[in-house]
Amino acid sequence: MLTVLAVFIILIIYDLQKFIRKKEPVRVFVLYFFFMAAGFTVSLLLAAGKRPYSPSQMIEAVFKMIGIVK
Amino acid sequence: MEKTRISSIQLFMLLSGFLFGSTVILAPAAGAKKDAWLAMIIGGAGGGLLMLVYAAIASLNPSKTLVDILREKMGYVIGNILAVLYIWYFIHLASLVFRDFGEFICTVTFPETPITVVIGFFALAFVYGVNGGVEVMGRMSELLVPVVPVVAFIISLSLITVSDFTAFLPILENGMPPVLNAAFSYITFPFGETVAFLMLFPHLNRKEKLKKTVIVSAIAATVLSIIIFFRDISVLGSELMSRATFISHLTALLFPGFNVDPLLDINLLIGGGVKSAVCVYAATRALSQVAGIEDFSKLTSAVTTFCVVLSVWEYNNVLEILDWTEKVWPYYAIPFQIIIPLVLLFLSLWRKNKPSKVKA
Repeated sequence: MLTVLAVFIILIIYDLQKFIRKKEPVRVFVLYFFFMAAGFTVSLLLAAGKRPYSPSQMIEAVFKMIGIVK
Repeated sequence: MEKTRISSIQLFMLLSGFLFGSTVILAPAAGAKKDAWLAMIIGGAGGGLLMLVYAAIASLNPSKTLVDILREKMGYVIGNILAVLYIWYFIHLASLVFRDFGEFICTVTFPETPITVVIGFFALAFVYGVNGGVEVMGRMSELLVPVVPVVAFIISLSLITVSDFTAFLPILENGMPPVLNAAFSYITFPFGETVAFLMLFPHLNRKEKLKKTVIVSAIAATVLSIIIFFRDISVLGSELMSRATFISHLTALLFPGFNVDPLLDINLLIGGGVKSAVCVYAATRALSQVAGIEDFSKLTSAVTTFCVVLSVWEYNNVLEILDWTEKVWPYYAIPFQIIIPLVLLFLSLWRKNKPSKVKA
Protein backbone atom coordinates (compact mmCIF):
# COMPACT_ATOMS: atom_id res chain seq x y z
CA MET A 1 0.00 0.00 0.00
CA LEU A 2 2.87 2.34 0.81
CA THR A 3 4.42 1.59 -2.59
CA VAL A 4 1.16 2.49 -4.32
CA LEU A 5 0.95 5.71 -2.30
CA ALA A 6 4.57 6.60 -3.09
CA VAL A 7 4.15 5.97 -6.84
CA PHE A 8 1.03 8.13 -7.06
CA ILE A 9 2.58 10.94 -4.98
CA ILE A 10 5.66 11.02 -7.22
CA LEU A 11 3.52 11.06 -10.39
CA ILE A 12 1.24 13.81 -9.08
CA ILE A 13 4.07 16.02 -7.81
CA TYR A 14 5.90 15.63 -11.12
CA ASP A 15 2.85 16.72 -13.16
CA LEU A 16 1.46 19.26 -10.71
CA GLN A 17 4.56 21.45 -10.72
CA LYS A 18 4.29 21.71 -14.52
CA PHE A 19 0.58 22.55 -14.33
CA ILE A 20 1.12 25.29 -11.71
CA ARG A 21 4.07 26.76 -13.57
CA LYS A 22 2.12 26.98 -16.82
CA LYS A 23 -1.08 28.15 -15.05
CA GLU A 24 -3.27 25.45 -16.58
CA PRO A 25 -7.06 25.95 -16.54
CA VAL A 26 -9.19 24.30 -13.85
CA ARG A 27 -10.51 21.74 -16.37
CA VAL A 28 -7.05 20.21 -16.65
CA PHE A 29 -6.81 19.84 -12.87
CA VAL A 30 -10.31 18.36 -12.62
CA LEU A 31 -9.74 15.76 -15.32
CA TYR A 32 -6.25 14.96 -14.11
CA PHE A 33 -7.37 14.38 -10.54
CA PHE A 34 -10.43 12.41 -11.68
CA PHE A 35 -8.26 9.82 -13.44
CA MET A 36 -5.60 9.83 -10.75
CA ALA A 37 -8.14 9.48 -7.94
CA ALA A 38 -9.91 6.63 -9.76
CA GLY A 39 -6.61 4.87 -10.37
CA PHE A 40 -5.42 5.44 -6.81
CA THR A 41 -8.64 4.15 -5.21
CA VAL A 42 -8.66 0.98 -7.30
CA SER A 43 -4.93 0.45 -6.68
CA LEU A 44 -5.43 0.70 -2.91
CA LEU A 45 -8.31 -1.76 -3.03
CA LEU A 46 -6.26 -4.17 -5.15
CA ALA A 47 -3.29 -3.82 -2.80
CA ALA A 48 -5.60 -4.54 0.14
CA GLY A 49 -6.78 -7.72 -1.60
CA LYS A 50 -10.33 -6.40 -2.05
CA ARG A 51 -10.72 -6.45 -5.82
CA PRO A 52 -13.80 -4.47 -6.82
CA TYR A 53 -16.22 -5.63 -9.51
CA SER A 54 -14.38 -4.79 -12.75
CA PRO A 55 -15.85 -3.02 -15.82
CA SER A 56 -15.36 -6.19 -17.90
CA GLN A 57 -17.41 -8.19 -15.41
CA MET A 58 -20.12 -5.52 -15.49
CA ILE A 59 -20.18 -5.54 -19.30
CA GLU A 60 -20.37 -9.34 -19.32
CA ALA A 61 -23.18 -9.28 -16.73
CA VAL A 62 -25.16 -6.80 -18.84
CA PHE A 63 -24.70 -8.95 -21.97
CA LYS A 64 -25.79 -12.04 -20.07
CA MET A 65 -28.85 -10.20 -18.78
CA ILE A 66 -29.81 -9.16 -22.33
CA GLY A 67 -29.13 -12.67 -23.59
CA ILE A 68 -26.33 -11.85 -26.04
CA VAL A 69 -23.79 -13.95 -24.16
CA LYS A 70 -24.71 -17.29 -22.56
CA MET B 1 -5.77 21.11 -33.75
CA GLU B 2 -2.23 19.74 -33.56
CA LYS B 3 -0.36 21.00 -36.66
CA THR B 4 1.89 17.97 -37.08
CA ARG B 5 1.79 15.84 -40.23
CA ILE B 6 2.69 12.23 -40.99
CA SER B 7 3.52 10.65 -44.33
CA SER B 8 1.59 7.76 -45.85
CA ILE B 9 4.54 5.44 -45.09
CA GLN B 10 4.43 6.43 -41.43
CA LEU B 11 0.67 5.88 -41.36
CA PHE B 12 1.16 2.49 -43.02
CA MET B 13 3.72 1.55 -40.36
CA LEU B 14 1.48 2.77 -37.57
CA LEU B 15 -1.48 0.82 -38.97
CA SER B 16 0.59 -2.32 -39.54
CA GLY B 17 2.14 -2.12 -36.05
CA PHE B 18 -1.32 -1.63 -34.61
CA LEU B 19 -2.71 -4.62 -36.53
CA PHE B 20 0.25 -6.86 -35.60
CA GLY B 21 -0.07 -5.66 -31.97
CA SER B 22 -1.34 -8.41 -29.72
CA THR B 23 -1.94 -10.74 -32.69
CA VAL B 24 1.78 -11.47 -32.59
CA ILE B 25 1.24 -13.56 -29.45
CA LEU B 26 -2.51 -14.21 -29.31
CA ALA B 27 -3.66 -16.21 -32.32
CA PRO B 28 -6.63 -14.48 -33.90
CA ALA B 29 -9.36 -16.66 -35.40
CA ALA B 30 -8.13 -19.58 -33.26
CA GLY B 31 -11.75 -20.72 -32.81
CA ALA B 32 -11.72 -22.14 -36.35
CA LYS B 33 -8.79 -24.44 -35.42
CA LYS B 34 -7.42 -26.02 -38.65
CA ASP B 35 -9.50 -23.68 -40.82
CA ALA B 36 -8.24 -20.49 -39.15
CA TRP B 37 -6.43 -19.56 -42.38
CA LEU B 38 -9.80 -19.55 -44.18
CA ALA B 39 -11.30 -17.44 -41.39
CA MET B 40 -8.35 -15.05 -41.70
CA ILE B 41 -8.90 -14.64 -45.45
CA ILE B 42 -12.64 -13.96 -44.98
CA GLY B 43 -12.04 -11.83 -41.87
CA GLY B 44 -9.18 -9.99 -43.56
CA ALA B 45 -11.44 -9.10 -46.51
CA GLY B 46 -14.17 -7.95 -44.12
CA GLY B 47 -11.66 -6.10 -41.97
CA GLY B 48 -10.20 -4.38 -45.02
CA LEU B 49 -13.69 -3.21 -45.99
CA LEU B 50 -14.31 -1.96 -42.46
CA MET B 51 -11.05 -0.03 -42.54
CA LEU B 52 -12.12 1.43 -45.89
CA VAL B 53 -15.29 2.65 -44.17
CA TYR B 54 -13.14 4.50 -41.62
CA ALA B 55 -10.97 5.90 -44.42
CA ALA B 56 -14.09 7.02 -46.32
CA ILE B 57 -15.40 8.80 -43.20
CA ALA B 58 -12.05 10.58 -42.85
CA SER B 59 -11.98 11.47 -46.57
CA LEU B 60 -15.52 12.87 -46.48
CA ASN B 61 -14.63 14.93 -43.40
CA PRO B 62 -11.12 16.18 -44.12
CA SER B 63 -9.08 17.63 -41.24
CA LYS B 64 -11.69 16.50 -38.71
CA THR B 65 -11.14 14.05 -35.89
CA LEU B 66 -13.69 11.50 -34.70
CA VAL B 67 -14.92 13.92 -32.01
CA ASP B 68 -15.44 16.71 -34.56
CA ILE B 69 -17.28 14.34 -36.90
CA LEU B 70 -19.49 12.99 -34.09
CA ARG B 71 -20.38 16.52 -32.97
CA GLU B 72 -21.09 17.69 -36.50
CA LYS B 73 -23.16 14.72 -37.63
CA MET B 74 -24.96 13.76 -34.41
CA GLY B 75 -25.36 17.14 -32.78
CA TYR B 76 -23.34 18.65 -29.93
CA VAL B 77 -24.93 16.76 -27.01
CA ILE B 78 -25.26 13.27 -28.55
CA GLY B 79 -21.89 13.76 -30.27
CA ASN B 80 -20.21 14.51 -26.96
CA ILE B 81 -21.90 11.55 -25.23
CA LEU B 82 -20.70 9.23 -28.00
CA ALA B 83 -17.24 10.82 -27.82
CA VAL B 84 -17.08 10.04 -24.08
CA LEU B 85 -18.08 6.43 -24.83
CA TYR B 86 -15.30 6.25 -27.42
CA ILE B 87 -12.84 7.66 -24.87
CA TRP B 88 -13.81 4.81 -22.55
CA TYR B 89 -13.47 2.30 -25.40
CA PHE B 90 -9.95 3.51 -26.27
CA ILE B 91 -8.89 3.43 -22.61
CA HIS B 92 -10.32 -0.08 -22.25
CA LEU B 93 -8.56 -1.23 -25.42
CA ALA B 94 -5.24 0.21 -24.23
CA SER B 95 -5.64 -1.58 -20.89
CA LEU B 96 -6.31 -4.87 -22.68
CA VAL B 97 -3.13 -4.47 -24.73
CA PHE B 98 -1.18 -3.67 -21.55
CA ARG B 99 -2.54 -6.77 -19.90
CA ASP B 100 -1.76 -9.02 -22.90
CA PHE B 101 1.77 -7.69 -22.88
CA GLY B 102 2.14 -8.06 -19.10
CA GLU B 103 0.72 -11.58 -19.07
CA PHE B 104 3.04 -12.74 -21.82
CA ILE B 105 6.16 -11.24 -20.24
CA CYS B 106 5.27 -12.47 -16.74
CA THR B 107 4.38 -15.97 -17.94
CA VAL B 108 7.25 -16.49 -20.35
CA THR B 109 10.17 -14.13 -19.79
CA PHE B 110 10.09 -12.72 -16.24
CA PRO B 111 7.99 -15.13 -14.15
CA GLU B 112 9.25 -13.66 -10.85
CA THR B 113 8.44 -10.03 -11.69
CA PRO B 114 5.03 -8.62 -10.63
CA ILE B 115 2.80 -7.80 -13.58
CA THR B 116 2.23 -4.23 -12.31
CA VAL B 117 5.97 -3.51 -12.54
CA VAL B 118 6.21 -4.89 -16.10
CA ILE B 119 3.16 -2.96 -17.33
CA GLY B 120 4.21 0.18 -15.43
CA PHE B 121 7.65 0.35 -17.02
CA PHE B 122 6.20 -0.48 -20.44
CA ALA B 123 3.75 2.41 -20.06
CA LEU B 124 6.44 4.77 -18.78
CA ALA B 125 8.56 4.12 -21.88
CA PHE B 126 5.92 4.94 -24.47
CA VAL B 127 4.28 7.88 -22.64
CA TYR B 128 7.25 9.89 -23.91
CA GLY B 129 6.38 8.89 -27.47
CA VAL B 130 2.70 9.78 -27.04
CA ASN B 131 3.58 13.13 -25.46
CA GLY B 132 5.74 13.87 -28.50
CA GLY B 133 2.60 13.69 -30.66
CA VAL B 134 1.60 11.85 -33.78
CA GLU B 135 4.78 12.79 -35.66
CA VAL B 136 7.03 11.15 -33.08
CA MET B 137 4.80 8.07 -33.02
CA GLY B 138 4.96 7.92 -36.83
CA ARG B 139 8.74 8.14 -36.90
CA MET B 140 9.10 5.58 -34.13
CA SER B 141 6.91 3.11 -35.98
CA GLU B 142 8.72 3.80 -39.26
CA LEU B 143 11.91 2.73 -37.53
CA LEU B 144 10.65 -0.21 -35.47
CA VAL B 145 7.66 -1.86 -37.18
CA PRO B 146 9.71 -3.35 -40.10
CA VAL B 147 11.44 -5.51 -37.46
CA VAL B 148 8.17 -7.40 -36.78
CA PRO B 149 7.78 -9.21 -40.16
CA VAL B 150 11.55 -9.80 -40.35
CA VAL B 151 11.49 -11.62 -37.00
CA ALA B 152 8.38 -13.58 -38.01
CA PHE B 153 10.06 -14.66 -41.28
CA ILE B 154 13.31 -15.62 -39.52
CA ILE B 155 11.45 -17.89 -37.09
CA SER B 156 9.22 -19.33 -39.84
CA LEU B 157 12.12 -20.15 -42.16
CA SER B 158 14.24 -21.64 -39.38
CA LEU B 159 11.50 -24.09 -38.45
CA ILE B 160 10.98 -25.33 -41.98
CA THR B 161 12.80 -28.60 -41.23
CA VAL B 162 10.42 -29.58 -38.39
CA SER B 163 7.24 -28.72 -40.29
CA ASP B 164 4.38 -30.96 -41.35
CA PHE B 165 2.77 -29.15 -44.26
CA THR B 166 -0.36 -31.32 -44.26
CA ALA B 167 -1.29 -30.42 -40.66
CA PHE B 168 -4.03 -28.01 -41.75
CA LEU B 169 -5.91 -30.74 -43.65
CA PRO B 170 -8.77 -31.71 -43.94
CA ILE B 171 -10.31 -28.42 -44.92
CA LEU B 172 -13.70 -27.50 -43.39
CA GLU B 173 -13.78 -30.58 -41.16
CA ASN B 174 -16.36 -28.93 -38.86
CA GLY B 175 -18.25 -27.08 -41.57
CA MET B 176 -18.57 -23.38 -42.23
CA PRO B 177 -20.10 -21.97 -38.97
CA PRO B 178 -16.88 -22.05 -36.85
CA VAL B 179 -15.01 -20.42 -39.74
CA LEU B 180 -17.56 -17.63 -40.03
CA ASN B 181 -17.57 -17.07 -36.24
CA ALA B 182 -13.78 -16.88 -36.22
CA ALA B 183 -13.83 -14.58 -39.27
CA PHE B 184 -16.17 -12.22 -37.42
CA SER B 185 -13.88 -12.28 -34.37
CA TYR B 186 -10.95 -11.53 -36.67
CA ILE B 187 -12.79 -8.49 -38.06
CA THR B 188 -13.36 -7.05 -34.58
CA PHE B 189 -9.88 -8.02 -33.35
CA PRO B 190 -7.73 -6.42 -34.74
CA PHE B 191 -9.28 -4.68 -37.78
CA GLY B 192 -12.24 -2.98 -36.13
CA GLU B 193 -9.98 -1.60 -33.44
CA THR B 194 -8.41 0.69 -36.06
CA VAL B 195 -11.41 2.96 -35.48
CA ALA B 196 -8.95 4.71 -33.12
CA PHE B 197 -7.15 5.93 -36.24
CA LEU B 198 -10.04 8.30 -36.94
CA MET B 199 -8.20 10.51 -34.41
CA LEU B 200 -4.98 10.21 -36.48
CA PHE B 201 -6.15 10.28 -40.10
CA PRO B 202 -6.48 14.12 -40.16
CA HIS B 203 -2.70 14.31 -39.70
CA LEU B 204 -1.93 12.52 -42.99
CA ASN B 205 -0.09 14.93 -45.29
CA ARG B 206 -1.43 13.47 -48.55
CA LYS B 207 -5.10 12.66 -48.06
CA GLU B 208 -5.49 11.06 -51.51
CA LYS B 209 -3.26 8.18 -50.39
CA LEU B 210 -5.37 7.32 -47.33
CA LYS B 211 -7.49 4.53 -48.84
CA LYS B 212 -4.52 2.91 -50.57
CA THR B 213 -2.49 2.99 -47.34
CA VAL B 214 -5.34 1.46 -45.36
CA ILE B 215 -5.88 -1.37 -47.85
CA VAL B 216 -2.19 -2.20 -48.17
CA SER B 217 -1.78 -2.38 -44.37
CA ALA B 218 -4.87 -4.62 -44.06
CA ILE B 219 -3.45 -6.97 -46.73
CA ALA B 220 -0.01 -6.97 -45.08
CA ALA B 221 -1.47 -7.79 -41.65
CA THR B 222 -3.65 -10.60 -43.07
CA VAL B 223 -0.79 -12.14 -45.05
CA LEU B 224 1.53 -12.06 -42.04
CA SER B 225 -1.14 -13.59 -39.79
CA ILE B 226 -1.72 -16.40 -42.31
CA ILE B 227 2.03 -17.07 -42.58
CA ILE B 228 2.31 -17.20 -38.77
CA PHE B 229 -0.71 -19.52 -38.61
CA PHE B 230 0.75 -21.95 -41.18
CA ARG B 231 4.09 -21.87 -39.37
CA ASP B 232 2.45 -22.64 -36.01
CA ILE B 233 0.10 -25.38 -37.22
CA SER B 234 2.75 -27.11 -39.31
CA VAL B 235 5.15 -27.15 -36.36
CA LEU B 236 2.77 -27.83 -33.45
CA GLY B 237 -0.19 -29.58 -35.07
CA SER B 238 -3.80 -28.53 -34.55
CA GLU B 239 -4.31 -30.40 -31.23
CA LEU B 240 -1.42 -28.78 -29.41
CA MET B 241 -2.18 -25.46 -31.02
CA SER B 242 -5.76 -25.45 -29.76
CA ARG B 243 -4.56 -26.16 -26.19
CA ALA B 244 -1.70 -23.65 -26.07
CA THR B 245 -2.14 -20.20 -24.51
CA PHE B 246 0.76 -18.42 -26.21
CA ILE B 247 1.12 -20.33 -29.48
CA SER B 248 4.00 -18.31 -30.91
CA HIS B 249 6.00 -18.84 -27.72
CA LEU B 250 5.52 -22.60 -27.95
CA THR B 251 6.63 -22.54 -31.58
CA ALA B 252 9.69 -20.45 -30.76
CA LEU B 253 10.74 -23.04 -28.16
CA LEU B 254 11.21 -25.56 -30.98
CA PHE B 255 13.81 -23.38 -32.63
CA PRO B 256 16.87 -25.63 -32.96
CA GLY B 257 20.01 -24.58 -31.09
CA PHE B 258 19.06 -21.54 -29.07
CA ASN B 259 16.26 -19.58 -27.46
CA VAL B 260 14.52 -17.09 -29.78
CA ASP B 261 11.87 -16.06 -27.28
CA PRO B 262 13.42 -12.58 -26.87
CA LEU B 263 12.63 -11.99 -30.55
CA LEU B 264 8.96 -12.59 -29.78
CA ASP B 265 9.28 -10.19 -26.83
CA ILE B 266 10.68 -7.57 -29.20
CA ASN B 267 7.79 -8.12 -31.60
CA LEU B 268 5.28 -7.75 -28.81
CA LEU B 269 7.07 -4.70 -27.44
CA ILE B 270 6.88 -3.04 -30.86
CA GLY B 271 3.38 -4.15 -31.85
CA GLY B 272 1.91 -3.72 -28.37
CA GLY B 273 3.74 -0.42 -27.95
CA VAL B 274 2.33 1.00 -31.19
CA LYS B 275 -1.16 -0.26 -30.40
CA SER B 276 -1.32 1.05 -26.84
CA ALA B 277 0.33 4.33 -27.87
CA VAL B 278 -2.31 4.87 -30.57
CA CYS B 279 -5.12 4.02 -28.12
CA VAL B 280 -3.80 6.32 -25.38
CA TYR B 281 -3.20 9.06 -27.96
CA ALA B 282 -6.74 8.68 -29.33
CA ALA B 283 -8.24 8.68 -25.80
CA THR B 284 -6.34 11.74 -24.60
CA ARG B 285 -6.88 13.68 -27.84
CA ALA B 286 -10.60 12.93 -27.71
CA LEU B 287 -10.74 13.80 -24.02
CA SER B 288 -8.95 17.11 -24.51
CA GLN B 289 -11.27 17.96 -27.41
CA VAL B 290 -14.40 17.15 -25.41
CA ALA B 291 -13.13 19.17 -22.42
CA GLY B 292 -11.85 22.01 -24.61
CA ILE B 293 -8.22 21.63 -23.56
CA GLU B 294 -5.73 22.74 -26.15
CA ASP B 295 -2.77 20.52 -25.28
CA PHE B 296 -3.66 16.83 -25.00
CA SER B 297 -0.29 15.91 -23.45
CA LYS B 298 -1.38 17.36 -20.09
CA LEU B 299 -3.66 14.37 -19.62
CA THR B 300 -1.45 11.64 -21.04
CA SER B 301 0.15 10.57 -17.77
CA ALA B 302 -3.17 10.51 -15.88
CA VAL B 303 -4.92 8.49 -18.60
CA THR B 304 -1.97 6.08 -18.91
CA THR B 305 -1.84 5.59 -15.13
CA PHE B 306 -5.53 4.77 -15.15
CA CYS B 307 -5.00 2.34 -18.08
CA VAL B 308 -2.26 0.55 -16.12
CA VAL B 309 -4.49 0.22 -13.04
CA LEU B 310 -7.43 -0.88 -15.19
CA SER B 311 -5.31 -3.54 -16.89
CA VAL B 312 -4.46 -5.10 -13.53
CA TRP B 313 -7.99 -4.68 -12.16
CA GLU B 314 -9.86 -6.15 -15.14
CA TYR B 315 -9.01 -9.84 -14.95
CA ASN B 316 -7.68 -12.34 -12.45
CA ASN B 317 -5.64 -14.43 -14.91
CA VAL B 318 -4.81 -14.99 -18.55
CA LEU B 319 -7.55 -17.58 -19.07
CA GLU B 320 -10.15 -15.04 -17.97
CA ILE B 321 -8.78 -12.58 -20.56
CA LEU B 322 -8.89 -15.14 -23.36
CA ASP B 323 -12.41 -16.22 -22.39
CA TRP B 324 -13.67 -12.61 -22.22
CA THR B 325 -11.95 -11.65 -25.47
CA GLU B 326 -13.50 -14.61 -27.27
CA LYS B 327 -17.03 -14.46 -25.82
CA VAL B 328 -17.78 -10.83 -24.96
CA TRP B 329 -15.39 -8.61 -26.92
CA PRO B 330 -16.86 -9.13 -30.44
CA TYR B 331 -20.34 -8.06 -29.26
CA TYR B 332 -19.06 -5.27 -27.02
CA ALA B 333 -17.07 -3.88 -29.95
CA ILE B 334 -19.92 -3.92 -32.52
CA PRO B 335 -21.38 -0.46 -31.68
CA PHE B 336 -17.97 1.22 -31.58
CA GLN B 337 -16.45 -0.53 -34.57
CA ILE B 338 -19.36 -1.10 -36.91
CA ILE B 339 -22.69 0.57 -36.03
CA ILE B 340 -21.56 4.13 -35.17
CA PRO B 341 -19.00 4.34 -38.02
CA LEU B 342 -21.62 3.11 -40.54
CA VAL B 343 -24.09 5.74 -39.27
CA LEU B 344 -21.35 8.38 -39.59
CA LEU B 345 -20.55 7.24 -43.13
CA PHE B 346 -24.22 7.33 -44.08
CA LEU B 347 -24.66 10.81 -42.59
CA SER B 348 -21.46 12.05 -44.27
CA LEU B 349 -22.58 10.76 -47.66
CA TRP B 350 -26.10 12.11 -47.15
CA ARG B 351 -24.87 15.61 -46.24
CA LYS B 352 -22.44 15.54 -49.15
CA ASN B 353 -25.11 14.63 -51.72
CA LYS B 354 -27.72 16.99 -50.25
CA PRO B 355 -27.69 20.24 -52.27
CA SER B 356 -26.84 23.22 -50.08
CA LYS B 357 -29.29 26.10 -49.64
CA VAL B 358 -26.88 28.57 -51.25
CA LYS B 359 -26.74 26.54 -54.48
CA ALA B 360 -30.52 26.11 -54.53
